[in-house]
Amino acid sequence: MTQKFWWLAVALGVCLGTAQAQVTVRKGGSAKAGIDWSRLVAGGGVPAEFKRVLEDDLLRSGWFVPAAPGAEFALIGTAQVSGQLAAQIQLYSASQQRWLLSKQYAVAPGAARTLAHRVADDILVAIGQKGMFSGHIALLGTRSGAKELYVCDMDGGNLQQITNDRNICLAPRWAPDGQRITYTAFLKRYPDVYLIDLATHSRRVIASYGGMNSGGAISPDGSLVALTLSKDGSPNLYVRAVNGGTPVRLTSEPRAAIASPCWSPDGSHIVYASDQASTAHPQLYVISRSGGAPRRLTTRGSQNVSPNWGANGLIAYASLMGKFQICVLDPNTLDSKMISPGDASYEDPCWAPDGRHIVCSRTQNYRSSIYLLDTLGDPPVALGQLSGDWTSPSVTAK
Amino acid sequence: MQSKRWMMWMAVGLVAAVALGSGCKKKTAGSGTGEGDIGGKLGGIGDGTGVGSRPDLNALEFAGQFQSVYFDYDSAQVKESERAKVETVAAALKKSTAGGVIVEGHCDERGSAEYNLALGERRAGAVRNYLQSLGLDATRIQTKSFGKEKPVALGHDEESWSKNRRAEFVLFK
Repeated sequence: MTQKFWWLAVALGVCLGTAQAQVTVRKGGSAKAGIDWSRLVAGGGVPAEFKRVLEDDLLRSGWFVPAAPGAEFALIGTAQVSGQLAAQIQLYSASQQRWLLSKQYAVAPGAARTLAHRVADDILVAIGQKGMFSGHIALLGTRSGAKELYVCDMDGGNLQQITNDRNICLAPRWAPDGQRITYTAFLKRYPDVYLIDLATHSRRVIASYGGMNSGGAISPDGSLVALTLSKDGSPNLYVRAVNGGTPVRLTSEPRAAIASPCWSPDGSHIVYASDQASTAHPQLYVISRSGGAPRRLTTRGSQNVSPNWGANGLIAYASLMGKFQICVLDPNTLDSKMISPGDASYEDPCWAPDGRHIVCSRTQNYRSSIYLLDTLGDPPVALGQLSGDWTSPSVTAK
Repeated sequence: MQSKRWMMWMAVGLVAAVALGSGCKKKTAGSGTGEGDIGGKLGGIGDGTGVGSRPDLNALEFAGQFQSVYFDYDSAQVKESERAKVETVAAALKKSTAGGVIVEGHCDERGSAEYNLALGERRAGAVRNYLQSLGLDATRIQTKSFGKEKPVALGHDEESWSKNRRAEFVLFK
């Protein structure tokens, strides 16, 4: 009963925004409204690309289905290039009989994709939802022959290779500012935590203590970093100011492997994976950022790893149930629900900025790629069709 | 009919959202003490004496002189059957006072990269602890985990996995 209750809160909490819209179509799991975009007029070339990316975003958002004139929503306007790419966008709601959005945009023609993502997010906000398409994904890819750090758009497009180290690297995480990424790399032969600034492409080591340095989760306010360090023995959880100082140990496990710290949205707690219990396999625990006794969150599943605490208060994680599957857990009630469809191995979940979708890696026949999962039941979508293996996605907060 | 059902769902959602929201507030109450409060509450973690400083980046490393120590799945325990290998390393190192050993911990391909990095470090740490118990000075032992990033066997079965769950010894001078 309570499990169903909280899950309805998740599902319908995000639905409240569209309360006034008439939901007419149900397809692929979740409720959707029809949108007619036949009167968004875009010429060939850059404007056509803009329109294509925008339409793909709107479909991927999960709230819309393409429809003929007379549908709940009408997307009307123009996109053309005369020096700049100029777009005029209006969104009309039939049930409310009013314009929900009326806006003009102008960007350099090279920014057509970026503009399409921005307009998609403006449309989502106009219907009372949260956007996600202006966000970015950091991920690891082996396309070059070695594992390197990449960044791409939320639809998998605009892929950019960030590192070219031909070295071992793992666990990229965005800083809350969406401008910097922490990750673990062996550039000085040992696993250290680095902070890379995308604007300047400068990189500095932020944790290089004896033994293992990993984690590198920066707190929501940007001041602290959560680290897993073995400088005092077994890998334990520490926090420290991002810019230096003495790490303060939060956990005191003499015989455990502690990994994957992630901050609660308010910065008051940290969730992590640890094999400290007698079961020997990793489970999820939460601890106050001021230390104290950790609280175990998971009991089901032989392994529970890679927690990601969303702004919606829910923790996504990977649970071993034959194959790894993505689950979502309410840390207050400890109720959890499996999100992935079970057809392959799904790992490394990270909430999208809309609080509805989860980006993760999907592995089948030993090949890994990045997928978008929908907590409201739409089928998983592959982000990009790329050669090589793609793992460890991290998504910006906005 | 359709809109009536929709309204009912909405009402459920609203009530549930409010309940969820109040639940979240409870969680934050009483937390958020300053960073400086943290340290004193914790005792030692008691798993060996901690890690010595890293060897110089230009130090010479010699791999492949000793047999690897193998581990059970998700375990960092040095098994009875593997202990003689560690004892051989301890005996060799105690013959001189120069240089030391890097214990490299490795895992099989299953599970998250980050957890395996920590597990590999635990395996290396367990071997370090045993070396110390045999009388080797802690300052001559360095641990390094590669997690699941450097398998020696590339198959996807127990035969390969059992070869990858290992600790390797690399001497440095």
